[in-house]
Amino acid sequence: MKAIFKRELNSYFHSPIAYVCIGVLLALYGFFYYNVLLLQTSTYISSVYSSMFLFNMLVIPIITMRSFSEERKNKTDQALLTAPVGTYAIAFGKFLAALLVFAVSLLGSLIPAFVIGIFSSPNWAIVFGNILGTLFYGAAMIAISMFLSSLTENQIVAAISSMGVAVFLMVIDQIGSIVSNSVVTQIINWISFNTRYKTFTSGVFDLSSLVFFLSVAAAFLFLTARRLEGRRWN
Amino acid sequence: MINVSHLSKRYGLFTALDDITFSVEGSGVVGFLGPNGAGKSTTMNILTGYLSATDGTVLIGGHNILDEPNQAKSLIGYLPEMPPLYIDMTVREYLSFIFDLKKIRMPKEEHIEKICKESGIWDVSSRLIANLSKGYRQRVGLAQALLGDPPLLILDEPTVGLDPKQIIEIRNFIKELGKEHTVLLSSHILPEIEATCSRILVINHGRLVADGNPESLCENMEEPHLQLILQAPRDEALSALRKLPSVKVAVCSERRENGTCLFSIEEKGDARKEIFSLCKEQDWPILELHSHEQSLEQVFLRLTSGEYDDGHLLPKNDPPSVSSAAADTSADSKEGSDKE
Repeated sequence: MKAIFKRELNSYFHSPIAYVCIGVLLALYGFFYYNVLLLQTSTYISSVYSSMFLFNMLVIPIITMRSFSEERKNKTDQALLTAPVGTYAIAFGKFLAALLVFAVSLLGSLIPAFVIGIFSSPNWAIVFGNILGTLFYGAAMIAISMFLSSLTENQIVAAISSMGVAVFLMVIDQIGSIVSNSVVTQIINWISFNTRYKTFTSGVFDLSSLVFFLSVAAAFLFLTARRLEGRRWN
Repeated sequence: MINVSHLSKRYGLFTALDDITFSVEGSGVVGFLGPNGAGKSTTMNILTGYLSATDGTVLIGGHNILDEPNQAKSLIGYLPEMPPLYIDMTVREYLSFIFDLKKIRMPKEEHIEKICKESGIWDVSSRLIANLSKGYRQRVGLAQALLGDPPLLILDEPTVGLDPKQIIEIRNFIKELGKEHTVLLSSHILPEIEATCSRILVINHGRLVADGNPESLCENMEEPHLQLILQAPRDEALSALRKLPSVKVAVCSERRENGTCLFSIEEKGDARKEIFSLCKEQDWPILELHSHEQSLEQVFLRLTSGEYDDGHLLPKNDPPSVSSAAADTSADSKEGSDKE
C-alpha cells in the first residue's frame, strides 16, 4: 500500500498534472479572495469556498482520471496485480495519493486566510469548516471518480463521466424540490451531498456528515477493488 | 514448483485454453512454444494470477493462486509480454518501487545494484524509462522480474526487441538462471528454445500437444532415416541394401547421371556400419551418407498443424489420473506431465 501511495504521489508531481491542478485552483482561490476582500470589502471567507466548490469538483476528475485507466492501457496493472499486494491496498494507496494532491490545494488556500488573520479576525470555525467539508466531499468524489476510472481504459471517458456525476450531485437538490413524490424527495435529500456539505460551511462539525462522506468513499473504494478483482474473470 | 491441472479459460464462446495439465519441478528452463494466439500468454497470465481460469487449479510452490495469492505471487518473478513499465520513472525509481511492492526483505540498494548489473542496465539506471530504447526497456522488465530473487521466473518472450548480441547475452543469462531457478520461458524463436530449454511444452489452439526435451520431440515425430548416394548399379544395390538386418525399408528415390543413385533408407537401429561394410565388399564408393533428422522447426510446424491436438504425443505416466503432485516429486525436469 505504502509503495503504491509513494509511487502515485511521485507520479503526480513528476508530471505536470499536480502542478497544473493545484496551480489553477490556487489562482482561482486568489481571484475569489480578491473578489471578497477588496470588491466586497468583507471577511466572509465562506463565500470564497462556495464559489470555489464547482471548480474543486471539476478538478477532481482530472486528478483521478488516469489512476486506473492508464495502468490498464499501458498494462502496468500487470505489475500491480501479479505482486503480492491485495486489490484493496492498490485502491487505497491510489486514493490516498489523489486525496493528498487535493488536500495540498486546500491547504494552500488557507494562506490568504492566515494573512487576513493578522489584520482582522475571520470566523475560524467557518474557515476550517469549509476546508474540512470540501476535503470530505472531495474524498467521496475522489473515490467515485477512481471507481469510474477503473471501468474504462480511456482517461477522457473517465474524466467526463465523473464530471457528470459531480454535476449531478450538485443539481440533485433542485431535482428533489421539483419532484412531488415525497418518498423520492426523501431519498434525494438523503443522497444529497450538498446538504451535508452545507453544515460544515456554517462552521458546524457534523459527525454524521463526516461518517456519510467517509462511508461513500469506503463504498466506492470497495467497488474499485472488487472491479480490479473481477476483471480477472471476464 | 508449478502444478497446473485441467486448466481452461473461456471468453464467452471462445475457448482460449482447453484442459491444460502439466507440472514443473526443480530448477531448469522450460520452453513454452506455440503459434500466435495459441494461449501462451493467457496461460502465463493465469499462472501469475493476473487472470483467473474458468476451470482447473494452479498451484505455485504448493500455494493455490486463488486461495493464497500473496504467498504464491511472492514466489514468482513475471515478465509479461509487454513489460509493465512506468515510463515517467527512472530505472532506479521504478526498481525501487517494485522492490517495495513485492515487499522484499533484502538490503535494498545493494540488491537493486546487483540486479541492474546482471541485466545490463546499470549504466542507464538514472535515466527515465520513457527515453530508453525497446531493448533496454525489455531488460528493465527482466530486471523487475528478477527482483527479490524469486525461485520461479515466468518470462513471456524475454528477448523481443533485443539486438543479436544482447539476445545471446540474455539467453546465456537465462541458462545461468536456470541452474538455480525454475524458468518458464515462452518464445516464437525456435533456436532460442533449442538453445536454452531442457524441456519444451508445445501448445496449439489452447491445448497442450507435446511435452518433452527437444531431442525426444524430434525423435518421436518420425523414424530416423538415412540418405545415401552410391556409385553402384541401382537394382543390385537396392536388393543388397534391403537384405541388411538393420534396414527396414530402402527405396531408390532418384537415379542420377554417371551411374550414381540416391537411396532413402528407413532403419531399425543403426544401419550405417552395415551399409559401409556392404559397400566396401562390393566396392561401391559412398559419395554421401547422412541421417536426415527433422529440425525442431519442422517438428514445431507439424505439431501446430492441428493433427496432434488430441494430445497423443504427450507422455503418459503410470498413475493416469492421480494428482500431478504425487507423480512429480520423483520426476526430473524432463518429464512430469499427466494426461488422462
